[in-house]
Amino acid sequence: MRTFILFIRRFFNLILFLGVEIVCIVMISHTKTLQGNDIVSSANMVSGLLYKKQNDVVYYFGLGRMNDSLLNENMRLRLQIATIKGIDTLHDSLVHKPLASSDTSHGASHIVHYADYVYRTARVINNSVSAANNYITINRGYKDGIARNMSVLSGTGTVGKVVHVSAHFASILSILSVKQQVSARLKDGTFGYITWDGNRPDVLMMRDVAQQIKVKTGDTIYTTSYSFFPPDIMMGTVLKTETLKKNNLQLLYVRPAANFRNLQYLYVVENKMDEERKILEDSVNVKSKP
Amino acid sequence: MSVYLRNFLRFCFILILQVLVLNKVTLRWWLEPMGFPIFIPYVYPLFILLLPFETPVWALIIIGFITGLTVDSFANTAGLHAFATVLIAYLRTNVLNALLPKNLSEYAHQNPNVKNMGWTPFLTYAAFLLVLHHTVFFTLELWNFSNIGYLLLKIICATITSMFFVIIYLLLFTRQTMARA
Repeated sequence: MRTFILFIRRFFNLILFLGVEIVCIVMISHTKTLQGNDIVSSANMVSGLLYKKQNDVVYYFGLGRMNDSLLNENMRLRLQIATIKGIDTLHDSLVHKPLASSDTSHGASHIVHYADYVYRTARVINNSVSAANNYITINRGYKDGIARNMSVLSGTGTVGKVVHVSAHFASILSILSVKQQVSARLKDGTFGYITWDGNRPDVLMMRDVAQQIKVKTGDTIYTTSYSFFPPDIMMGTVLKTETLKKNNLQLLYVRPAANFRNLQYLYVVENKMDEERKILEDSVNVKSKP
Repeated sequence: MSVYLRNFLRFCFILILQVLVLNKVTLRWWLEPMGFPIFIPYVYPLFILLLPFETPVWALIIIGFITGLTVDSFANTAGLHAFATVLIAYLRTNVLNALLPKNLSEYAHQNPNVKNMGWTPFLTYAAFLLVLHHTVFFTLELWNFSNIGYLLLKIICATITSMFFVIIYLLLFTRQTMARA
């Protein structure tokens, strides 16, 4: 016993050092699976407030640029409304008519709901682009209806997914992250995954596109309904294509549609049908296991 | 001013400088080079380097853990900064012992600084531990060795820039009594 105590005394520092490092490794390994703890995140009370105070000061310097981006977005939305109103897809489309007329059990014609999206605005109070997993902190929390796994868009394109929520703040894992990949499709409907290799914040990658698919520089890439984003949101444009020698598949370099360097306002999108879909998918997964 | 208060104020100052100023400035050395890394210089390990000589190792480890965890909570990297900072906090005493001519107990009630160590030993001490910190941190953060040249480039750029900030800090906060004497 005495030698044991002597041993502990002799190597106390080393044991403490190893113990603390093991605690750190456990914490890191928890965040590797996208499920970190909310306390050590920028959504917590202290860091959120400090970031907010700092942003209140810096905020005014970006107002001109923000006005421009809002004006551009308004113009885009107005253009979209104009094209939709011209054709009036809801009444004239061949796709919707049979559905509306065949289902008369409720008396009136009825619209099929696949998803029901609620948009909330939020202001960016902290942002990073240089880390391997980049996080954005916003000034909205669960008191404003933000919850985990909601998707986040900017005026121009996709941004990320909510991972930590506190009362007044939330932190978002942006698509500039080496640990999350997003389902995406090309203009002609080819599916693939958008990933980021951790190098430059203005280049994303789309791997394993078959060689016979013709991709031009400047082609748009959209989200799919498989991803956590709403479908058909612009993700980016093709910057460069490269055919890999080893497996004859194309690697697309993609310029993201959102400018991650100066994000000011974001939209947090809640999918009302998401829970139902998740329960259904989970139940299928459980059943398919032997 | 008591030793504890002075170190606590330095802790607040360096952490606020790191979190509110340096974390917002993502640097890169050239404007549009293909694949050149952008990075944040991490200067907060300087707080660990400037703790008094007689701080025991267990206290250094715990202070390092708290410092790292504070930076982690701002940068959403649970544990990464803490891991790297605890490592340099543990090795600090050994590096000081190797670099200083006298025993550490002879420097009672003093902080390591350029006055009692001299410029070259202090910069060696700071550079060694900063290189270690940055290497461990960036390696753990990226955890992807397919592009190792990029990782090395990022470590080198960030270390040199951090050392630059450390030297500026030392020039600003060293009292100039030596020059007059």
